[in-house]
This record gives sequence, structure tokens and C-alpha cells, in this order.
Amino acid sequence: MSKAKKVIEEAKEINNPEIDLVDKGITNLEEVPGLFNLANITRLSLSHNKIHTVPAALANLMNLEILNLANNHIEELPLSLSSLPKLRILNVSLNRLYSLPRGFGAFPVLEILDLTYNNLNERTLPGNFFMMESLRALYLGDNDFEYLPPEIGNLKNLQILSLRENDLIELPREVGQLTRLRELHLQANRLVVLPPEIGSLDLASNKAVLRLEANFWVPPIEDQLKLGPSHVLDYLRSETYRVLYSRHMSAKPPTPGEVRDKSKKASRAKS
Amino acid sequence: MSLDNMFCTRCGDGFEANEKIVNSNGELWHTNCFVCAQCFRVFPEGIFYEFEGRKYCERDFQVLFAPCCGKCNEFIIGRVIKAMNANWHPACFRCEECNIELADAGFIKHAGRALCHGCNARIKADGLQNYMCHKCHGVIDGEPLRYRGEVYHGYHFTCATCGVELDHTAREVKNRPGYAANDVNNLFCLRCHDKMGIPICGACRRPIEERIVTALGKHWHVEHFVCAKCEKPFHGHRHYEKKGLAYCEQHYHQLFGNLCYVCNQVIAGDVFTALNKAWCVHHFACSVCDAPLSTRSKFYEYDERPACRRCYEKFPVELRKRLRRAHHYTVRRN
Ligand SMILES: [Zn+2]
Ligand SMILES: [Zn+2]
Ligand SMILES: [Zn+2]
Ligand SMILES: [Zn+2]
Ligand SMILES: [Zn+2]
Ligand SMILES: [Zn+2]
Ligand SMILES: [Zn+2]
Ligand SMILES: [Zn+2]
Repeated sequence: MSKAKKVIEEAKEINNPEIDLVDKGITNLEEVPGLFNLANITRLSLSHNKIHTVPAALANLMNLEILNLANNHIEELPLSLSSLPKLRILNVSLNRLYSLPRGFGAFPVLEILDLTYNNLNERTLPGNFFMMESLRALYLGDNDFEYLPPEIGNLKNLQILSLRENDLIELPREVGQLTRLRELHLQANRLVVLPPEIGSLDLASNKAVLRLEANFWVPPIEDQLKLGPSHVLDYLRSETYRVLYSRHMSAKPPTPGEVRDKSKKASRAKS
Repeated sequence: MSLDNMFCTRCGDGFEANEKIVNSNGELWHTNCFVCAQCFRVFPEGIFYEFEGRKYCERDFQVLFAPCCGKCNEFIIGRVIKAMNANWHPACFRCEECNIELADAGFIKHAGRALCHGCNARIKADGLQNYMCHKCHGVIDGEPLRYRGEVYHGYHFTCATCGVELDHTAREVKNRPGYAANDVNNLFCLRCHDKMGIPICGACRRPIEERIVTALGKHWHVEHFVCAKCEKPFHGHRHYEKKGLAYCEQHYHQLFGNLCYVCNQVIAGDVFTALNKAWCVHHFACSVCDAPLSTRSKFYEYDERPACRRCYEKFPVELRKRLRRAHHYTVRRN
């Protein structure tokens, strides 16, 4: 803890608005002296500590724009964070979250939300999660989603959506409403078909990213994927595929694959 | 691109490994070499004006090239009114009858004078609609030939090149780079004029006799080379090209998404690009711990974001194994 104390004192002395407390062995933020009084700081990086609980008082840091809590032992977040008026980037990846507090989607200006590598799924998201219209990047990779709520279509400014290595069985057609989407990570799920609307997204340009590997695609998608993701998009726009998709959706064939064994995930560790 | 085949546009030398490189529209420069072509000083606040392939600071650009107003003789900064074969401040270009400003109201050339619509209609109604030849003082039927601001019968002149008798379609050439004023202040028939290769503006299709901007494979009047989105002239400021169109910085970034991944702002200085994203130099950082990264730092790709080596090594072993596997098939596929 003395290392953290030194950082805070130095920051106060030179009025540094960006605080790095990465890998300082912190277990309890309330034991970092003077941290909650640094009302002027704009960035707080707390990655690679052993923090279990995030105190609600962290929201006293009214000027925070970037809050990085990656790779801690956090199981719960306080609702107060979502009232931070300037918070643009929140990273809670590599933690032990099973849920988010009710009302958590109230962030006024959040742009990047990183929830990668937790234990979240569609049933544990708060009701207003998809009201965060300012979001331009949403990282949900390495979680436990089987379905993505159709409200995803509300996130009009979303440019990046990662659902890498979840247990996704299907994707809602509303993903096709995300007209600004330039990165879509779907690799290593249990997907069989894609909504044809995805074909109209601008995901084939040289600046776009479309990751589809390691799913259970129907053979025509798998064949196009061997030629490259842009061929998949061409195929999704075809009349042939529209027919295949509607037949598939009405036949409701059994879901392929199994939920991956995640017992070894660090996010499952018990404190 | 490796440092080995990167050279300074001015001095032709290469760059040191740690050296800061100025990248202006794909041209590279030593910071010491990126200077005004006239005074050899660095550009205040990075603002420069380009003319015929050379870059000038604002002061020297004005002294050398800014147009002078036909009325008050001062430099014209900002909006230039090109009319009656001269340049004008908007406030200096007025109706020669009633003195009203013409810049936005529009004007009519009448017997070599700029008039507002009202005065033109009145004078016409007074029965003075015929031009009078400046040389023989006879009345001109039809269109007059215009030369140095006066009107003439065409038959008083012959083409300076081929000698053919001229009519109202004759072109006056006022100045051309590399010619003295007396050599070029002459009249030419249309055919000879076209053969002289005087550049034509890509926007208004009229000859360009003063400052020329060359871009997008065409020539432009400085006032006519504008952003395809907001239509404001670049006036020597940086422009960005995309699919045959030019854009101002703001609109290029707005339309084509080259904003910094961290601050979401237009990137003012050098741009770092990696993983289909762009960063301000000081915002290029590890996405897990926020530690700054440089072009020389090794980083790992994690959901198309950079993760520093220290962070990667702190990832759960189980995750690292999966990332390594994922990495393998990504590499194979490309
Ligand atoms: Zn040089
Ligand atoms: Zn200068
Ligand atoms: Zn005459
Ligand atoms: Zn001629
Ligand atoms: Zn023009
Ligand atoms: Zn513009
Ligand atoms: Zn930035
Ligand atoms: Zn890092």
C-alpha cells in the first residue's frame, strides 16, 4: 500500500490529472489514502490489483473520463459509477462480475465499455443497458451470452461489438440496424446462421473487421467463409440465402455444440 | 513502410530510428526541413499555404501571392470577389452608379462598368444600351471586345500569334508564370488561346491566370478548390483526398472515421495506425493498463486492440492459451 501512497502524493504535488496505480498490490481502495479527494483527475488506472469491491465513493471523482479496473477480483460494481458525468471509457475486463446493478445503463457520455472476460449473460444485464446511445465500442467477449437482446439495435453509434467466445446460439436481426458498425467479433460461438440484415452492414471495407471463425455455420456460409468474410456478406444479401434463413428459423433445428467448460476461467474463482 | 525506404522530401536524406518525422499528405520531412520556402522558418502553429508545390508561412504567402484589391490596393484575406478582371474586397466592389455593395447582390457589366441590377435597368431604359468603342468612339453593334477594362470593335485588333482579325470571343492573357507582363498582356483568338495551355479551373471551367492550385489531377482557382462537403476553400490548408474528391480535415474525419480511438477527436499531429484504428501519438496506449506505447513497442492483439507485453503475461493462463490458438488461425487465414 505504501507504493500507492507514494503515487498519490506525487500526483498531488505536480497536480497530475492522470493516476497510474497499476499492479500496486491494492486489495481495498478505501485504504489508499487521499484517493477519493483527487476530484480533478481525469484518468485512474487500477489494472492488475486485487480489488474485490469498488466503493460507491469512487463516483466523487467527478472529472474522471477514463476508469480502468481491468484484471481485479471485482464481483459487483456500485450504481454510482453510472452517474459520473464525464466518464467516456470504462474497463472492467478480467474480473468476476456475474451481474451489473439495476439502472447501470445511465452513463451520460460513455463511449467505450469493456466487460470482456466476466460471467455475464443476457439475463443479468440491467434493463436500461441498451439505452447507452453514446457507446461506440462494446466489448462482451469471453462471457456467457446465449442470446443478444434485440434492444442492441438502439446503440446507433456503435462501431465495435465484440462477442468473441460466448455461447451465442443466434443473433437478432436488429444487429442490422447498427449502420455505423465497423467491427463485429463473433468467433468461437455456436452460431449456425446469420440474419440477412448483416449483409447490408459496411463490414467489407479494408478498415472493417468481421470475425466469424469457429462456429457451426451451415455449409454455404462455411464455404463462403473459406473465401473470406466479404464473400459471406455477399452471400447474405442473396435471395438464395433469404430463403435458407427463413426455412432455418421456422424449422428450429436443435442447437449445436455445448456450452464450453469454463470452470478454469479466472473469472469463476471464488474469493 | 520501413525506415530504409523513407526519405525527406526536401533534403532527400533518410531518417534516424528515433527521429520525429513530419508526414504531410504522404510526404515525409525532417522536422528541420519542414519549413517555409521563403523564410526557412518552421510554420507558426503548423499552418502553411501551398502554392505551385511549395509551402509558405502565412505571412510570406500573403506578401507573395495574396491578391490585391482593385480599389484600395490592400491584400485581400478571406473572401475574394473576382470581377471586372480584378480582385476586390467584398466591401470595395460597388455599383459605379449608386455605390451599393455588389458582392452578394450580383452585378451587370455595362459598357465596362459594374452596375447593380437597378442602375443597369435605368441606364438601359435611358437608351444608352449600346457600347461605344474606346478607340474610334463609334457605336458597337452586338458584343464588344473587352481589353484592359475597355470595350472595342473587335476589328481594331489581330491575334498576337496568328494575326487573324479578332471579334468579341478574343481572350486577353494577363500574366503567365515565366513571362514578363508585356509579353503576355495581349489578345489572342480562341484557337491560339487554347493552344497556349493556360490551365482551366476544374470547378468553373474558366482560365486561371493567377494563383493555381493543382490537386486531384486538375487545376483550380484558389477560391474554387473547396471541400466536397462544406464547400469552403482550403486556401492552402491541408486537404484530404478520397475517391477523387477533396475534403477539409474535419469533414474527412467525420465522413471516413479517422478519429483517435481514445479521445474520438480529429488527430491533429502525427497519426498512429494499427489494428484498423488510429490514435493521436500521446493516446496510443495499452488497452488493459493504459501504459503508453510507441511505434517500437511490442504489443499483442486482443480483440483488435493493443495489449502490452506486461499485461499479456498477466492474463490468465487459460486465456493466453486460447488467444494463442486464435492467433494461429488468424495468421493462417491471411
Ligand atoms: Zn531533410
Ligand atoms: Zn515564411
Ligand atoms: Zn472601334
Ligand atoms: Zn490566333
Ligand atoms: Zn474557377
Ligand atoms: Zn469541409
Ligand atoms: Zn487522441
Ligand atoms: Zn498493458
